[in-house]
Amino acid sequence: MISSVEPVPITVLGGYLGAGKTTLVNRLLSGDHGRRLAVLVNDFGEVNIDVDLITSHDGETISLQNGCVCCSIADALGESLDRVLALDPAPDQIVIEASGVADPAKVAAYGYGWPGCRLDAVIVLADAETIQVRAKDQFVGELVTRQLRGANLVLVTKSDLVSPEVLDSVLSWAHDVAEVPVLPVTRGEVEPEVVLAMSRSDLDVGSARVATRDAPPLTDADAMFETATLRFPGPLARSRLEAALTLWSQDVVRVKGIVWFAEADGGNAEPHVVQRVGLRWSIEPATTEVSLEAGGGRLVVVVRRGALEAAALISDLVEA
Amino acid sequence: MADITVFTARRGRTMEASMPTAEAVAVRDGHIVEVGTLENMAPWIDGYDHEIDDTFRDHVIMPGFIDPHLHPSMAAVLLPMEFTTVVEWDLPWSEIGAVGGRVELLDRLIELDAELEPEAPLFAWGHHPIWHGEVDRETLNNISATRPVIVWHRGYHSLIVNDACYRWMDIDLEAARRHPHIDVDRGAFFETGLGVAYRHMNSFLLGTERFRAGLDRMRQVIHHGGQTTIGDAAMGMYGFEEEWEHLKAVMERPDTPFRIQLMPAEMGPVGDEQSDEAMIERILAYPQRNTHRLRFSDHVKMFADGGFFAELLMLKAPGHLDGRHGEWMTPPERFEQVARAFWNAGLKIHVHCTGDLGVEMALSTLEKLQWERPRFNHRFTFEHFGISSAQQVARMAEVGALASVNAYYVYELSRAFADHTLGYERASQMSRLGSLERAGIRFAVHSDFTMAPAKPLNNAWVAANRLNESGEVMCSNERASLDAAIKAITCNAAYVLGLEDEIGSLRWGKRADFTILEADPYDVGAEGLRDIPIWGTVFEGEKFPI
Repeated sequence: MISSVEPVPITVLGGYLGAGKTTLVNRLLSGDHGRRLAVLVNDFGEVNIDVDLITSHDGETISLQNGCVCCSIADALGESLDRVLALDPAPDQIVIEASGVADPAKVAAYGYGWPGCRLDAVIVLADAETIQVRAKDQFVGELVTRQLRGANLVLVTKSDLVSPEVLDSVLSWAHDVAEVPVLPVTRGEVEPEVVLAMSRSDLDVGSARVATRDAPPLTDADAMFETATLRFPGPLARSRLEAALTLWSQDVVRVKGIVWFAEADGGNAEPHVVQRVGLRWSIEPATTEVSLEAGGGRLVVVVRRGALEAAALISDLVEA
Repeated sequence: MADITVFTARRGRTMEASMPTAEAVAVRDGHIVEVGTLENMAPWIDGYDHEIDDTFRDHVIMPGFIDPHLHPSMAAVLLPMEFTTVVEWDLPWSEIGAVGGRVELLDRLIELDAELEPEAPLFAWGHHPIWHGEVDRETLNNISATRPVIVWHRGYHSLIVNDACYRWMDIDLEAARRHPHIDVDRGAFFETGLGVAYRHMNSFLLGTERFRAGLDRMRQVIHHGGQTTIGDAAMGMYGFEEEWEHLKAVMERPDTPFRIQLMPAEMGPVGDEQSDEAMIERILAYPQRNTHRLRFSDHVKMFADGGFFAELLMLKAPGHLDGRHGEWMTPPERFEQVARAFWNAGLKIHVHCTGDLGVEMALSTLEKLQWERPRFNHRFTFEHFGISSAQQVARMAEVGALASVNAYYVYELSRAFADHTLGYERASQMSRLGSLERAGIRFAVHSDFTMAPAKPLNNAWVAANRLNESGEVMCSNERASLDAAIKAITCNAAYVLGLEDEIGSLRWGKRADFTILEADPYDVGAEGLRDIPIWGTVFEGEKFPI
């Protein structure tokens, strides 16, 4: 059982108008990802939800068949947060679509201090076709640059609409500006997995039968990103995990999971929650009961497709 | 009661170029039938049952003053609070002295603590670090260990509280400690941390009884300033329907001596609206709600950059003195789309602009719209107009823009902004009125109350003198002439609201709205404008002494 005190992760989606935030929001809301997401948007006008999927609509909140809800922020982010936190059961994750002129790093502040929440990540989207022009615009240049600098992870959207040479230059420019991992995505389609945080449902894995280091099959051949679950039969060396989390390349977009450490690292009585988004990572004692077998562990990794083998990541963590 | 009432006066100041002064105004059913001399009015007087009312034989009748931009709802939240600003306030229920520095602020808080009911929270509004320095939780604990004490920033930018307030708010301090915009030890909430504070205070501040008591104080303030028409320049800030109900309950009463022209604040389609067309349909339907005193029209309010007092204006190079950044309130591209929808629907657009980059954004949008679909008489109005350049003013003239200016910025902020925010050159030229007048651009001056006192004569005085609170004249070349300053609170303010055929001057057919003064502003001159005593007002023919 998972107690209700686990804070709900907040993920902030930032980026200027046209960066693809709404496309991503639409995908998150209609996706078959098994999470109960609460997505807070500035207005419903641009959100395109298939009416067949809507189970109720009370003006400020739209509830969907897959358990997700979409709420309009309507100038009062705090009130919207309270509204979705009061849902029963509480959402697995809250995604805030920041306004196009917001500084997402400021919006992220809600993830630190709003009761019942924690910050998962600030993900900023940038349109490959226009971002460099906007960064020089007299009205929004400074803002667009500041948005990139507030990100933990930058996703360059519509990357299939520019030539490979242009894309390379945009990626390298954005990396210089943001100083965090910058990844290209096509057709404005970001796999939900990139946005999904460690959640209650990750902790509540049910049976803990698996105890294998075999790399599982990777998902969806068309996707830009691949997801693999790394499973460990025994405790990890904390220093080794920390080194890996620090050194893994920007192709490792997300890491999330539960591990136990060897006794020398503080015993294996307490499971620890591991999270990494972009280059920012944390290891914290799990505050809720975890229904994994003590001593084992698993990490879900999202990597850029074709960039890495799951086995290689495992070998960074445990002896072959 | 007689059919016609003729008000005679020492002088009527008509604000009509054809006949600048008069000795009598004849009124029927709340409207003027004739302005001029008793002799010339003979056909009216002889033809109808009438009375001559010489109450104003020693006074001057002016057209009723108009403040086209203030915020009754914001004022309703603030007016129940204690005022502790660096400038003085003359409010109908009390005269509040200036609170000039840190020691004065603390003394004032101690006094207020002694005066208030034991349990009541003490909300003090007006703190600005430029003058009052830093105030923190411990400072306020020394004011009271038991009473919640809340010190609110002059531009709503931050608030500081004591331990008793933490208990009153019932706030989770552990969570607050993790918040980057809450400093629990200092008791400070700022930027997004304010949302956490409001969460615990709104049920108190926006409670119906308190809010309506605040609105009722606003009613008194408006009358006290001699105003007979005001513009609510962002209807709906705290929730459209709630505000509408409160306004109807408090303002729509026979003893309310003014009308409110309501301008909805619009950023784009809201709620279920799927398109700009749906938004426009909603806006065009608002006038169907109109009551006698509460009226929507075809004017809408938009927002460019952030607040002036809060120093969130967007600036062109060289930016802020300390390198800080302002804020866009609407994404520039979205602004253009929404403005285009309004423009093409024939609506009148008012834009909140505080910095020269904000002005540039609104102005370049207007230029583009004029190019796409030329309009005359469009009333596109730059609101506040904090920082601008003379070159921007020239372009505004080319495309037929108007301005509604917060002249009072010069009084309270020009010295502080010269030293801390902008440097002298830009700060001294804030609210540039002389350039507007030379370019032939019609302008109003407004209070944006509580940003400035809701006293049109005071705002006209700042406009015509540009004296600041330190007693310096800031850029004499940007002063408005006496005539332009008075037009800015009468006929040109009416023009900005699109009501020039109804109010703003003394002329046949207009509403019988008068502000009754003890002296003629044209005799007193620019220097004395703010000291002219106000007898009261006449609203639609009925006398309302102060």
